[in-house]
Amino acid sequence: MMMPAVLRRTTFWIPAILLVSALRSSAQTAEPVSPAAFNAIRAAFDRAVSQTPLLPELELADDDLAQGAAPPQQTQPPTKPGPPSLGDLGFPTAQTQPNPQEQARLNKRSHMLKIHQRLGLITTGPLIATVLLGGFAGGRSTSSTTRDLHAGLGSATAGLYFTTAYFSIFAPRIPGTKTRGPIKLHKALAFIHGPGMILTPVLGAMALDQKDKGEKVHGIASAHGAVAVVTAAAYGLAILSVSVRF
Amino acid sequence: MNSRLIAVALAALALLPPARAADSTWVLQQSTITYHVSHPLHQSEGVSHAAKGKGVCHAGECDFLAAAPVKSFDSGDSNRDLHMLQATRGAENPMVVVRAHVPETALAASSIHADLEIQFAGQTVHYKDVPFQLSAQGNQIKLTGTIPTTLSDFKIEPPSLLTVPVKNEVPIRVDLTWQKQ
Repeated sequence: MMMPAVLRRTTFWIPAILLVSALRSSAQTAEPVSPAAFNAIRAAFDRAVSQTPLLPELELADDDLAQGAAPPQQTQPPTKPGPPSLGDLGFPTAQTQPNPQEQARLNKRSHMLKIHQRLGLITTGPLIATVLLGGFAGGRSTSSTTRDLHAGLGSATAGLYFTTAYFSIFAPRIPGTKTRGPIKLHKALAFIHGPGMILTPVLGAMALDQKDKGEKVHGIASAHGAVAVVTAAAYGLAILSVSVRF
Repeated sequence: MNSRLIAVALAALALLPPARAADSTWVLQQSTITYHVSHPLHQSEGVSHAAKGKGVCHAGECDFLAAAPVKSFDSGDSNRDLHMLQATRGAENPMVVVRAHVPETALAASSIHADLEIQFAGQTVHYKDVPFQLSAQGNQIKLTGTIPTTLSDFKIEPPSLLTVPVKNEVPIRVDLTWQKQ
């Protein structure tokens, strides 16, 4: 069967195939072929179909290619779309950038709150002992030794308590954080055991003074025991509020 | 004249749909990512709905990427969330990024075992053959599953409560709805 002369030219078929593959690739990827590549393929195609080729020396027969002749055009294959990157997702830059200052603040905060937690647990020991011993420190039959021990333990408890509170109060705040969850109750209870821990030793000192004078404990000093129990209860509840899910 | 006709025929051929599956793009429409922490005194979970994701399929292979800000996980306890942020170095490495490479044909199945690459807390960890369930609804695919992550994988020191550390296993449950574009 006779073929048109143009169909026997390699310079027709190669640009033709490249043109088709470029258009198909463009259709699949929804990305346009680069104008330079498209124009190069198109120019070669036009030359091939032209009856008066501009560069007759490039009109190679298929046999010429088989003998190892160089192809007339070098084009890039269609580019494969790359895997998606974080930048493709549209997160604000501020959200994806590292913030070493905030990390340092978080580290300091966590460090101070860990100390707060440990000291708080340690404080529980003398606090319980002070309350239990308080039951034997009042009344007419108690010895001054018991009262002194009770007062000593109470002082130690207060010292540990305020050191514990320091690490919570001065832990760095993280801007933009709204307090939610059990920590709200933990903080709220501090408004009970905090004043209680100030008031209890003051009332205790007043009671001791009255006792030393041989008086019956009277007035506001008589609330020492009740304030101490409420303070200890609020303190215990504060620990449980962040330890156990109710 | 013949050559002109051939050129027109080739142009028409170029407009025909390609023989193999066309490239496709997927976008993460909805997401629920939940981590689970176990402690002898209680269990806790942190949830994020802030993930974004994209998938690109080409030549029968798909690359998926999903990411969420570490800050976006909410456990209902601001103190725990801040401590989680600190323990996971979340201010220095603010994003958790998950990449998966799967064959396009797998998207039509009801389950899939995917190899995942997770960037989190400044570490990159690979998980092999993580099982997920898939359910297709129109142009959407819902993917659910649990990634068996551990704190030690990402070199995270286990946080402790009352001096007792949490368990090393912190599984992450994912529930993602992908929309084909």
